[in-house]
Amino acid sequence: MSEFKPHQLAALERRVDAAPKVRGQVRYIRDLKIPGMWLGKTIRSPYAHAHILGIQLDRKFDWKQVVVVTAKDIPVNQVAMLENDMPFLAEKTVKYRGEAVVLLAAENQDLLNEAARHVRIDYKPLPAIFDVFASQVSFTKIFGDNNLFKEIAISRGNVEKARQNSDLTIEIETKTGFQEHLYLEPQGVIAIPEGDQVTIQGSLQCPYYVKRAIDNMFAGEKRITVIQAPTGGAFGGKEDYPSLLAGHAALLAVKAGRPLGMFYDREEDVQVTTKRHPSYHQDIAYVNKDGRIIGVELTIFLDGGAYCTLSPVVLARSALTALGCYHVPNVRILAKAVATHTVPSGAFRGFGGPQAIFAIEMLIEKIAYTLNLPPDQVRKRNLIRKGQRTATGQLLKYSVSARDTFQDVLRRSGYKKKFRTYQNHNADILKYLRKGSVSSLKAGEKLKGIGISVSQHGAGFTGTGENKINGKIRVEILPDGRVKIFSAATEMGQGEETAIRTIMAKALGIGREAVILSDINTDVVPDSGPTVASRTTMIVGSLLIEAAKEIVKKVKIDLSTKRKLSFTYRNGFFHNSSEKHAFQDAAKLSAGWSVEKQYRHPPIIQFDDILWTGDAYPVFSWAAAVAEIEVDPITFDVRVSRYTTSHDIGKAINPDQAVAQIQGGSLQGIGYALYEKIRLEEGHFDITGFTDYIIPTATEMPEFEVSLIENPYPYGPFGAKGLGELPLVGAAPAVVSALWMIFQEEFNEIPVLPEFLAKIFERKTGKNVSD
Amino acid sequence: MKYITLTFSLNGNKISLKTHGNRRLLDVLRDDFGLTGTKEGCGIGECGVCTVILDGKAVNACLILAGQLEGSEVVTIEYLARDGKLTELQQAFLENGAVQCGFCTPGMLMSATALLNEVPFPSEIQIKEAIAGNLCRCTGYKQIIDAIQKTAIRLKK
Ligand code: FES
Ligand code: FES
Repeated sequence: MSEFKPHQLAALERRVDAAPKVRGQVRYIRDLKIPGMWLGKTIRSPYAHAHILGIQLDRKFDWKQVVVVTAKDIPVNQVAMLENDMPFLAEKTVKYRGEAVVLLAAENQDLLNEAARHVRIDYKPLPAIFDVFASQVSFTKIFGDNNLFKEIAISRGNVEKARQNSDLTIEIETKTGFQEHLYLEPQGVIAIPEGDQVTIQGSLQCPYYVKRAIDNMFAGEKRITVIQAPTGGAFGGKEDYPSLLAGHAALLAVKAGRPLGMFYDREEDVQVTTKRHPSYHQDIAYVNKDGRIIGVELTIFLDGGAYCTLSPVVLARSALTALGCYHVPNVRILAKAVATHTVPSGAFRGFGGPQAIFAIEMLIEKIAYTLNLPPDQVRKRNLIRKGQRTATGQLLKYSVSARDTFQDVLRRSGYKKKFRTYQNHNADILKYLRKGSVSSLKAGEKLKGIGISVSQHGAGFTGTGENKINGKIRVEILPDGRVKIFSAATEMGQGEETAIRTIMAKALGIGREAVILSDINTDVVPDSGPTVASRTTMIVGSLLIEAAKEIVKKVKIDLSTKRKLSFTYRNGFFHNSSEKHAFQDAAKLSAGWSVEKQYRHPPIIQFDDILWTGDAYPVFSWAAAVAEIEVDPITFDVRVSRYTTSHDIGKAINPDQAVAQIQGGSLQGIGYALYEKIRLEEGHFDITGFTDYIIPTATEMPEFEVSLIENPYPYGPFGAKGLGELPLVGAAPAVVSALWMIFQEEFNEIPVLPEFLAKIFERKTGKNVSD
Repeated sequence: MKYITLTFSLNGNKISLKTHGNRRLLDVLRDDFGLTGTKEGCGIGECGVCTVILDGKAVNACLILAGQLEGSEVVTIEYLARDGKLTELQQAFLENGAVQCGFCTPGMLMSATALLNEVPFPSEIQIKEAIAGNLCRCTGYKQIIDAIQKTAIRLKK
């Protein structure tokens, strides 16, 4: 194992896509000028649950200059995803506030707005359900006959026995809120019809998801091409939603017979696009006095919203992550994704993992405070190691770094010492607060906290997912001897282009400039699977390495045939005792040749997705984090001052980008813990944009101390595992662990807003301390 | 609606433009001049991706109306590397890995350029404050701040 020091990073390779971005030359979807393009608009339900009685177009309005689409115009009114329950447009019933009912297209925005005023939709409101517990027992059916999108039960060992044999039972209920992706570029798609062809271009993550959805919508009667435009951030928010949006654009474009742009403004984007699933957890631990956990019973409810989208797989990841980084021999996990009359929840960086890790880490905090043990000690006692088994019985054979990352952050942050120092520092402040004598506080004095978390993220799709996808790539040798990669893996800021080209260049032993990437166009690139689940580097990367081997073999044969000599290949050169040919020169002989590779999990990886046993993921990435916070005892504003984290991602293909991803992801997790709050009012999100949904700005940024630990995965490219999602996962529990430390109180819900902290002392003093 | 004729300087060129006075500078730049490096992320002054430099100050182009432009000097992202060569700051953004999805990048660069023009050697707090109105959801800001700091040092030499 080796460690990267930040000072080594500067010399390492930079991103391939950054130069046009700093010049302002990249054309995102809104920057394209398409002649004759009209704009689209969506008319949405104001009710969370209602019958649609009728749609009237005002006769007095001149409809000749406007195109109208309703459910009746749609050949197959289902967005093809896991279940086909979601329509492109509601026909008889609306199931969430903001659901699309009518689409309009016109030449400009003013005309669209005017037209929208002349559409009348009559509804009969119906009782709506916003609560996952009410939903499960309600006679109102949103999905199937029990409002469950999916239910998963995992069991291992004997929980009953664990309960009997343990010293103590400790319980906690935890809750996490909605989270909005808030990519800086709002959703946008353009559809261009030409005869039977419809070309979709957009800000999106998964071109083949969109292609399948639109193929299906037109019942196969149109030829669909999907092209990814440069994408200004996604974080999962452009994984499932663009299928719906592209459908709307395509319907209007075809009916209008002209190019059509659907561009959401910020308010529409935050109001109607998917959010992270809110979660509710009921967790029980059976523990010994020394903090060892003998058994757990973990129950998870995810609020999936009105339609299924990806909820079953989000739930699977939640359930499979529920045990965190711990080894517990007796486990029972029950997980349910429940339907409510809310905007459908969808993919978001971490994909069920952040909820699960928050819950288990809070259970650990509760164990520590109940037993009066240091929180790091309880974690250490239970951390999983190589050779042990997870909740699904998966034997961890390689690349297990729960302990290494944990020890590393403890040491680098000085956790133990600061824990004591800060406790002493806080004693007086807390005394005054408890007494309600705020006036005794020294000006500017802050409460100081330190918290810790450990987290993991399974790399790639859950369970048998990868084998169902059968991701493919193709690599072609160009006439000038460069190689061109055809894959559907998308760049959305995470550095995919750089990673892929670097892997190929390293595998061939050539410069990165000799490797180019095809545009992401479904007519040209094979389906390498969606760019999600932190899978691209590991899965697509491993295919590239296989392809590279065959390329070398092919070029060697062609060269040997031509020169009538045999060659060996090393460091970018084919050579023998008399000749030496650079790769690119030799490869010209094989111009036009290409190789296709298809992914299968290494055969040793076996998973049973009925019994939920076996290898849930081929490998896990591991992280630990220490958050240091300051709390203002008057305003109760919380600031993370320093954030120390260690990540084992196998091997960092681009260490500087890995560090950048870790910082960005951690800050999203800090926002999830402290700022990012969405309240639901009768099914309506109370947010409109950046003023009322607060994400961290540069002034909220903590000092970051990041280190990468390399513990290679034998089947990954150069040992790489997944990275993209993990940094977000452990941030919230580390921050909240610091709140437990300061206040010696149970914190079981995020986000933790200042109002909540103030209430702790209002309860104690009966006074309103925040005045 | 009435048209007005404006004279102002855009990226060093004298411009005379006939337009409605209540159009947003953002639309004027993007639609009339094809300067799409200036982005729109909210349209109401909250995100900073539309930042341009107006008379030496970083402003949100979505909040400036055409009528305010008379006699002013507007600089956009496209002006920075006008002779093809990146500015020190742009170069530092590349070297420090300050760019991910790139959507906030032009606005970030304009805020930082305005800062460095005004305060040759800003403190970390001044940097953070200068870009506090420029949101970035990808980077966590650290590399951006590093890039600005390093540029200041380099320019001082
Ligand atoms: S678009 Fe101008 S500040 Fe957001
Ligand atoms: S780089 Fe994506 S928002 Fe800043």
